[in-house]
Amino acid sequence: MKSKIENQKLHLIDTDIHERVLYEDLITYLDNPWKKYITDCNWMQEKHMPYVQPAIAGVDRADARVPDGRPAGTDLEFMSKQLLEPCGHEIGILTGALDPSPSSMHGWYEMATALASAYNDWQIENWIEKDDRLYGSVHIAAGDPAAAVREIERVGSHPKMIQVLLPIDDIMWGDPYYHPIYEAAERHDLMLGMHHNEPPIYFGKWPRYFIEWHTLIPTAHMMQVTNMVFNGVFEKYPRLKLMMIEGGFTHVPHLMRKMDQQYKDLRHEVPWIKRMPSDIIKEHIRFTTQPLEELTKKEFLQLIDQMGTDELICFSTDYPHWDYDSPFEALPPNLDESLQRKLFSENARAFYPKLPQIRKEDA
Amino acid sequence: MKQVICNVTDLQPGEIMEAEFDRKSIVVCRTMDGEFYAFLNRCIHQGAPLSKGMLCGTSIDTDQVGEYDYQREGEVLRCPWHGREFDVKKRGCMLANSKYKLKDFKVEVENEQVVVCK
Repeated sequence: MKSKIENQKLHLIDTDIHERVLYEDLITYLDNPWKKYITDCNWMQEKHMPYVQPAIAGVDRADARVPDGRPAGTDLEFMSKQLLEPCGHEIGILTGALDPSPSSMHGWYEMATALASAYNDWQIENWIEKDDRLYGSVHIAAGDPAAAVREIERVGSHPKMIQVLLPIDDIMWGDPYYHPIYEAAERHDLMLGMHHNEPPIYFGKWPRYFIEWHTLIPTAHMMQVTNMVFNGVFEKYPRLKLMMIEGGFTHVPHLMRKMDQQYKDLRHEVPWIKRMPSDIIKEHIRFTTQPLEELTKKEFLQLIDQMGTDELICFSTDYPHWDYDSPFEALPPNLDESLQRKLFSENARAFYPKLPQIRKEDA
Repeated sequence: MKQVICNVTDLQPGEIMEAEFDRKSIVVCRTMDGEFYAFLNRCIHQGAPLSKGMLCGTSIDTDQVGEYDYQREGEVLRCPWHGREFDVKKRGCMLANSKYKLKDFKVEVENEQVVVCK
């Protein structure tokens, strides 16, 4: 059977790849006492959900487990064989596995800060400096913004670190308390990436079933976009941009209209916002495509039309997770080549100033 | 076309009133400096009668997140339904987006009378 996307060489910029660290590997990058809290006291990343991911192999694709038995996403060579080579990745952007997720911690920010530094060092040494195609995200402990800024200063100038990663849980990141983080990011030409971890999307609590939670993840993304825009983050930091990762994009036309309508009625409450929210979104925010709903070409193009531009969405696979999107199969067939090029690579390239700005085949 | 709407003393600074001009309902506004302005009495959003709204000030644009600066008392006409703000002194432009505006009419004061012109 033919793939929906015919040209096998996609020159893909994949905006969401989940590399995973094993704690036994991470501890070599930690000093004591932090290391001992893992080795002696069995520290684990706090988790909140009452369910597991009820797919065939938990959160991962069942075929993505490393042949030697290690969890999916832990081995660069296997990832390269299973993902980067067959899909023709020009660039893959690493977003971690949220374990550890220092900015998700609701306390013990000293431990969180140590974990963020260890993770960044591990990521740099074992992934982005080992494979030309891979670029990294700066993990921080946002609960302590001053410490987070120090970490951004420490690793943010690495040429292959391209964004600061913030998890979406129950913290609204537009709050001025976190603005020093954005100032530091802007200083290093780092964009922001937000990826949900375990946002409690039911009135601060959990729905009864995983399927309900997973359906409503975009609502948590909508909260963050709304919060970041109306809290004036992009007015205050005009070079800062935000990639919303793994929330899909089909909610975006609605959100743009809703925010504009509300702004027309309620502008006086946020007088530091001086233009239509949809214009702020168009200039500052991008959305990764996965998990794509199954759309016809007509439906897909209607949604793009409703956003007013085809430059807001960037393809992502979410490898190695179970709800992975294949770059050959997930999009509707027969999209124009120029649109494919934007979705698969050029929108992301334009978004991240630290990525090579000339396509590899054109260099 | 010119039409006397009311006497100057019928409307105090900061007040609005409904009137009829050319068989249409209009809203006449008097700003704090004593000037008169007139608009079609119909919000461009959903047609609400603006004369039932409020002539007030607003939190003007600020450069700092979290900073409020309430100014321009009597120069902003707010719709009675959704509260959209229109700039009386700028021909009824919507404050949120100046590409939208109310239909405005020229107003003159002649012999202590308020005259609306078309």
